[in-house]
Amino acid sequence: MGKKKRGHPDIEEILARPWCYYCERDFEDLKLLISHQKAKHFKCDRCGKRLNTAGGLSVHMNQVHKESLDKVENALPNRQGLEIEIFGMEGVPEDVLQQHQQRIITNFYTAQAERRAATGNPPPGQNGQGPAKKIKIETPEEIKRRLAVHRAKVATQKAAGANGAVASMPADGQSPAQGASPFPPPQAGFSYPPAGAPGAPPFPPAQTYPAAFPPGPSPPPGAASAFNLPARPPSGAPPAGAALPQRPPYFYNGASAPPPGYPGSPSTVDELVAGAARQGDDIDQLIRMAEKGIKPGKGAAPTEEAGGEKKSKKDKEKNMRMVYADTEVSPEEKMALLPKYRFAIEA
Amino acid sequence: MAPSTQFEAAQPPSDAISALVFSPDSPNRLLVSSWDKNVYLYEVVDGADEAKLVNQYEHRAPVLDVCFGANRDEAFTAGLDQQVKKIDLATGEQTVLSKHSQAVRCVVFSPEHSILISASWDNSLHIHNPSSSDPPITIQLPGKPHAMAASPSKVVVAMTARLVHIYDLPNIASALASGSASSIQPWQQRESSLKFLTRAVACMPNDAGYATSSIEGRVAVEWFEDTAESQARKYAFKCHRQAAPEDEGGGDIVYPVNALTFHPVYGTFASGGGDGTVALWDAEAKRRMRQYQKFPDSVAALAFSKDGKYLAIGVCPGFETGMENYSGEGKTKIFLRELGETEAKGKGAK
Ligand SMILES: [Zn+2]
Ligand SMILES: [Zn+2]
Repeated sequence: MGKKKRGHPDIEEILARPWCYYCERDFEDLKLLISHQKAKHFKCDRCGKRLNTAGGLSVHMNQVHKESLDKVENALPNRQGLEIEIFGMEGVPEDVLQQHQQRIITNFYTAQAERRAATGNPPPGQNGQGPAKKIKIETPEEIKRRLAVHRAKVATQKAAGANGAVASMPADGQSPAQGASPFPPPQAGFSYPPAGAPGAPPFPPAQTYPAAFPPGPSPPPGAASAFNLPARPPSGAPPAGAALPQRPPYFYNGASAPPPGYPGSPSTVDELVAGAARQGDDIDQLIRMAEKGIKPGKGAAPTEEAGGEKKSKKDKEKNMRMVYADTEVSPEEKMALLPKYRFAIEA
Repeated sequence: MAPSTQFEAAQPPSDAISALVFSPDSPNRLLVSSWDKNVYLYEVVDGADEAKLVNQYEHRAPVLDVCFGANRDEAFTAGLDQQVKKIDLATGEQTVLSKHSQAVRCVVFSPEHSILISASWDNSLHIHNPSSSDPPITIQLPGKPHAMAASPSKVVVAMTARLVHIYDLPNIASALASGSASSIQPWQQRESSLKFLTRAVACMPNDAGYATSSIEGRVAVEWFEDTAESQARKYAFKCHRQAAPEDEGGGDIVYPVNALTFHPVYGTFASGGGDGTVALWDAEAKRRMRQYQKFPDSVAALAFSKDGKYLAIGVCPGFETGMENYSGEGKTKIFLRELGETEAKGKGAK
């Protein structure tokens, strides 16, 4: 918030209060906020241990309980993601910060206007000039523009980076389950409450935009940014006994789409398709039809095994590679044909 | 809250695991069938984080499935050698119950009706009364069976060409008693809710429905009741997928979902995939409850103990398209997870 502020200490005070990224509550001081976060958002539901950050909790869950943390507990629906590393006020994305401030400002002046209307008195300390315009840190238009630019950039990133994967997932609620889904896609900090820019105009991708990640100040110990997550010390968890061969599933670069199939990503229950049998997976189906070849369905002539392999190559081109792609013959049937397993019936 | 623990069974099979199953009346007893031609019996030692090998039962050929029978010492196996066998786990005695004309893929035992059903790649089911010496009755199937599971009153058979037949167990029991195979018709014939080859079927312990999974990283949940209302409840979702590295073209790597099992107490279910992960799902609330740390290889089989305390996870390399030198040797493991008190407890429908 680089702009020169002047005017009301009142709203300045309110704006200066530390608040929680996950639930939007505000607190007297930073200490209270941090202990709130540890108790409400970073507490292990298996053993009660309180960690400093969501990343720390994720590491703890992995190492101590052999589980993956899905999402941040008690968080607003679009703030449950693990990609953003929050510690106190550290790590709150710039645009979320703006949004929060805008909300405070709006609420403040709404309340003031209501008071004024009720009492008939001018606001204290005013010299007749409407205070609202002067006090604003940023006009709503400015904020909207910022947000729009950012969104356009995100959209571009998505289109460029995540093509097939994201495109094949219905982004919006086709199924009744989606509305109630506890796993709204966190989208690496790019999901905002719909309050902001309605119908953001498409901006050229070259445009600069506020960083989604905290700029500047180095995070406090134990609150490394999401980018550093894998390298960080295990935040109070016992030393990693078994170094896992695979990369930890809970981190990904905020700049690209989260890997589907991981916590909170849209490939979980989010895209539950009700009545799958009736509706089918339309987009998947289109892809498949385009590829031809695979004819799911009864009565279809059994395809040859070799066909399955060709299909898998096509799938790869289509950005979906099935590890096992034969639609007629099971892995067990193929294994049964291998010389080491084959059983010859004695005559 | 009791913290959960996880440990490995001693002396795992020497090759790929085909099935895992806990005893219905002796919750710490675990049977494992393997492509190494053996069936293994383990005993989980409470509080010791240990599962000991009690015995093993050698077969002539790879064993594709195993289940418990009427008591803790009775088991049945499905052999690649086309035989359905009964094993006395106490004495090791093996009895051939029937022979199919192709490999036997699955066996299920219904304790409620004392019926053993075997499903074979010869496109048939054999219905056995294990306590009688009468030959089984045969039911012809329209396709090759790949997965089968029983609920208290139903048997679900998933076949090629997305065929799913559901049989009514009381009906089968009375047909078996009267020896009339012709009276056994599927109670329902369905098309799979999934577009690709079925990998696994599991039935809800409350007899209300079942889940299926396919080679294409997807699970469907549906209900038996044939009303529009019940059928409208069914759903499917993607899972067991991973983003491919950008330098390999990005997109999704889609793994088969090899295993499904319902929690006997809470009715939640676990899925295990070729991606080496196990996830717990709340079928009612339609949400993923947990995803466990990745296992070193593909998850081939899953089973909850009947008291819901343990989850057994069979891990071995997955068979992928185009493989000609498959081997699970040295990489086959059985993990046992002692669940925290509420670990598998769903929150119920929202
Ligand atoms: Zn909070
Ligand atoms: Zn813990």
